[in-house]
Amino acid sequence: MAVMRRALARHATFVVMLCLSLAAAVAVLALKGEAALWRALGGALDLAVFILPVLGAGLLLAASVRQLLPDGALSRWLGAESGLRGLVLASLVGIVTPGGPIAAFPLVLVLLRAGADRGAVIAFVLSWALNGFQRILIWEIPLLGLEFSLLRFLACLPLAVIGGLIARRMPASWQPEVK
Amino acid sequence: MSATQALVWLMALSAFAWLLRRGGLVPARRALRDTGTSLLKLLPMIAVALPLATLFAELVPPGVAEGALGRESGTAGILIATTAGMLLPGGPFVTFPLVLAFLAAGAGTAQMVALISAWSVLGLHRVLVWEMPIMGHRFVLLRLASGAALPVLAGLLAEALLSGFPVLGR
Repeated sequence: MAVMRRALARHATFVVMLCLSLAAAVAVLALKGEAALWRALGGALDLAVFILPVLGAGLLLAASVRQLLPDGALSRWLGAESGLRGLVLASLVGIVTPGGPIAAFPLVLVLLRAGADRGAVIAFVLSWALNGFQRILIWEIPLLGLEFSLLRFLACLPLAVIGGLIARRMPASWQPEVK
Repeated sequence: MSATQALVWLMALSAFAWLLRRGGLVPARRALRDTGTSLLKLLPMIAVALPLATLFAELVPPGVAEGALGRESGTAGILIATTAGMLLPGGPFVTFPLVLAFLAAGAGTAQMVALISAWSVLGLHRVLVWEMPIMGHRFVLLRLASGAALPVLAGLLAEALLSGFPVLGR
């Protein structure tokens, strides 16, 4: 019983997502029918084919950068004492970080190990999510035009720093752990 | 292979080559082992996350409330757009074409800025598929709490920018 509970705790995320997937599958089958279920599963397979080639590259990138950066190397620039300048710097790093979530999230672990504080990593993730240059170049400017893209970029520019400031004021128990 | 994938591979291989030159074989082998370990840990997650994403897409009706997102909808429209962006499943290949369709149907620019921001920062889809498995729930909670207000702020900032520089709204 204790063994089972420990295993469940260690794989909590996996179990939750598995249950959600099964519930969604039942809901689709009940509401939209069998064809929709197969269409969704086929779509998932297509996504996997699209994602898997880049997954290995993203992980290799993060692992290599981690070996290149000694522990604590960035604490002067991105640590808890780095102030507003650290948050601005983290936002700039977020904008120039290429690739999808598969590259960006492992980089967060690298930054934490290198001494970045939680304000800086939150500013980094928010800045990457809002204004990552690659998505703007590949999707936004071609589809929505330069004016719209510029307006959105400018409106979102200060937000990552604001998010980092909020993160630094959160209760201490929310410190992200370094695995 | 897409241009994005080629770019990530190019960066990964450059970083690895640099590591080989600077550190030699030992750290290079350590990096390869790290890559393998993370890959094995992530694969089962991805196997349940991708069907979840596509099943979710089947359940959310396309074309949510175009009237409520119009140019004159103001702050209420920004709030509705934020909610819609949060629930929007799929990557940029879903979101940007949808925003294009919304804009053509008369949605307001500031409202669409809020929608894209909410999808970027709060998108349930990305949280479930990527962030939870890689980062764990404590990081997700911290990030969501820090970012919760930002999409609405982005919409309001866009509205202010539009009144100052109407040329951006077209």
